[in-house]
Amino acid sequence: MKEITAIIRPNKINKTKKVLDTLGFPAMTAQRVLGRGKQKAIIGEVTMDIDTTKLHEKEGTMRYIPKRMLTLLVPDQDVQLVVEAIMRVNQTGQKGDGRIFVSPLEETIRVRTGEKGDKAII
Amino acid sequence: MKMTRAIVRPDKAEEVVDALAESGYVALTKMEVIGRGKQKGIRIDEIYYDELPKVMLMLVSESENTDEIVKIINDTAFTGNFGDGKVFISPIEEAYTVRTRSKGL
Repeated sequence: MKEITAIIRPNKINKTKKVLDTLGFPAMTAQRVLGRGKQKAIIGEVTMDIDTTKLHEKEGTMRYIPKRMLTLLVPDQDVQLVVEAIMRVNQTGQKGDGRIFVSPLEETIRVRTGEKGDKAII
Repeated sequence: MKMTRAIVRPDKAEEVVDALAESGYVALTKMEVIGRGKQKGIRIDEIYYDELPKVMLMLVSESENTDEIVKIINDTAFTGNFGDGKVFISPIEEAYTVRTRSKGL
């Protein structure tokens, strides 16, 4: 089992969920987080009514950017599929598309039945 | 690669973030969490607080940088009292950048 942590744009969450749903991975945890990348947060992706030309001028003018963090637990063989799907949906080519981390997972237990391992996440 | 997750006091979080940025660790994720430690919350006079608000900072770095990151966090988040927080380090096998679809940090 692997844990996939994806940090994506908030406005892509519905599409991502739909795509993962059709692929057969409906289970996930979503969380609202704040974050920034190597560029130290660029305001570009936040839409607001006020004049933002000054803020656009250089990188690092905004402290954090609101993001959505998805946590999915998937069996080893499906990691590539899920990562590829998330990347395809979320790629816009602009900075701030997000990042995906894959980390190992030792044990999963379904609370209701006590099932362990792969059975608990499928 | 390693993921460092630090749970720190909300009022120290920005100090930690600035200290990390100074050393070149700009990219991170911040989230508000609620938790408690070994002391099972805190009692102030008659009022017992079961869960306390904290800030969790999450950053992924190359394995050799974790020591430095932990040191920065420990130095800046330190007050000496209960509730300064904890730092957890876990392994990351792969990282992808969505924009470029490339592997690695």
